[in-house]
Amino acid sequence: MNARIIELVGGPLRAMRRATFWWCLGLAALVTATISIWPAFKGSSGLSQAIDQLPAGVVQAFGLADFGTPAGFLRANLYDFFVPLLIVIAAVVLANGQTASEEASGRLELYLAQPIDRRAVLLGRAIAALVALAVISVVLLIVQLGADAAVGLGIDTGYLVSTIALCALLGALHGSLAVAIAGVRARPSLVLGVGIGVGVAGCVVASLFPLSDVLAPWRHISPWDWAFGGNPLEQATDLWRYGALAVPTVILTAVGVFAVARRDISGA
Amino acid sequence: MNAADPVVQIDGLVKHYGKVEAVRGIDLRVARGEVFGFLGPNGSGKSTTIRCLLGLLRPTAGRIGAFGLDSTRDGVALRRRLTYVPGELRLPDRLSGMEFVASIGRLRGGFDPARRDQLAERLRLDLHRHLRDLSSGNRRKVALLLAFLFDADLLVLDEPTIGLDPLMQREFLALVREARAAGATVFLSSHSLSEVQRAADRVAILRAGKLVAQGTVAELRGRARQRIEVWFEDDPPEAELKALPDLVDPVVDDHRFTATLSGSIQPLIALLASHRVGSMLVEEPDLEEAFLDLYDGGPA
Repeated sequence: MNARIIELVGGPLRAMRRATFWWCLGLAALVTATISIWPAFKGSSGLSQAIDQLPAGVVQAFGLADFGTPAGFLRANLYDFFVPLLIVIAAVVLANGQTASEEASGRLELYLAQPIDRRAVLLGRAIAALVALAVISVVLLIVQLGADAAVGLGIDTGYLVSTIALCALLGALHGSLAVAIAGVRARPSLVLGVGIGVGVAGCVVASLFPLSDVLAPWRHISPWDWAFGGNPLEQATDLWRYGALAVPTVILTAVGVFAVARRDISGA
Repeated sequence: MNAADPVVQIDGLVKHYGKVEAVRGIDLRVARGEVFGFLGPNGSGKSTTIRCLLGLLRPTAGRIGAFGLDSTRDGVALRRRLTYVPGELRLPDRLSGMEFVASIGRLRGGFDPARRDQLAERLRLDLHRHLRDLSSGNRRKVALLLAFLFDADLLVLDEPTIGLDPLMQREFLALVREARAAGATVFLSSHSLSEVQRAADRVAILRAGKLVAQGTVAELRGRARQRIEVWFEDDPPEAELKALPDLVDPVVDDHRFTATLSGSIQPLIALLASHRVGSMLVEEPDLEEAFLDLYDGGPA
């Protein structure tokens, strides 16, 4: 691979080193702190009974079903909301930081003044954000598996891998949405607002729509439902769920790359 | 492309930002091997024109390019042959100067490290420091180093000496002359008139998105007003003096005659030759006068 192509991805990756490290550390701390309280919950029938007293809708909305089981505990405390949402935010922030934010600040100008197609510059940055996301996800997986082993959660390793892979793909989808918007218009506030807003809206749709008979069928419009609708911590994930997240990721990235060639580059 | 073909070619360039007409129809040619001064006050459209040339902006109308290549269609091939110093300079703060130069070097396909070190020494630039720790002048030097590091046929320099001390401005002019001697063409945008006056062969003056003058530095100076003072040993030929063309505000005061000359000095010299002149003072016009005349008084 020639130095130019390596630089198009490697340069942005170097720029994201510190941010990637802090995202890894934050997620590792969240997972470790959460799992460390599992031994206190394990075998505690009181909490399960208390949750059973709550309205079914509340239990469902907040993912509290089977809270006393290892999978239920992980879902409610980590993988129904917090981890996927943090990964979505990380993906959007990292993608924005390497695209719209760099361009709007004028720091991209000297790079785009080199003999490189600006589509390659944006694609390189999108790939770099994806690699950073993959690193964060792998670290998350390693910490999760380690914590799992330490407290004896006993979740199937394959299910954990699937769950975290789906989190990563959900993040990639929202990161690629950020890239698409940055390709159309280099406005960081727009990229962050829409990217994170769509992520939060998807989470709300997947969590709350099932509570209404009218809205329940519409929960499938949410990427969160595509990712976690099959309960990946307890069941094998259908392949289509990976595809449902990966294909739009590729399409949205292509939209951004296509669009950036057809507009003016923002100045400082 | 023939050697006689212009390097930079701009035909009817128009660029609008929404309702703002930044460039309103520019036609320009820059010949091979010349240092071309692109003068104008802030907001006159210089940087917009340059960013169109680099393919960063898409013209609203007209064509702009270099080496027979179109900026929009052939941007990559065009940028392969030029280097650029942006007017509004923003560098990646997290990198050291050395890392940034290496990064751009990899994107351009390599550079000569000895040349980098030589330029850093000439510009008195410590490339090992982080860019965030550099003063604005030193950051400008990093951009200048990059512009002169690679073998480019065209150097596009937008306000290249902002923040540089006089010593470094002199070094910059030396680098420009060396680049030209090596066969490069230099497109030098500036609102620093003295800089352009010292460096450029030809000049174009931009005002509110339109070219208001174009020519050699000497031609432009010829259009500038010159203040004239003549001391006659006898009574001045007042009627003849006041009848001369291109004289503004002629005043005869005893043996002293003063006026401002806005055209050729030849008729005045011819008249003075037939009279006894004690001494004469013709103030050297500079580009600044020409520039201000055109900017303040010329039609938009």
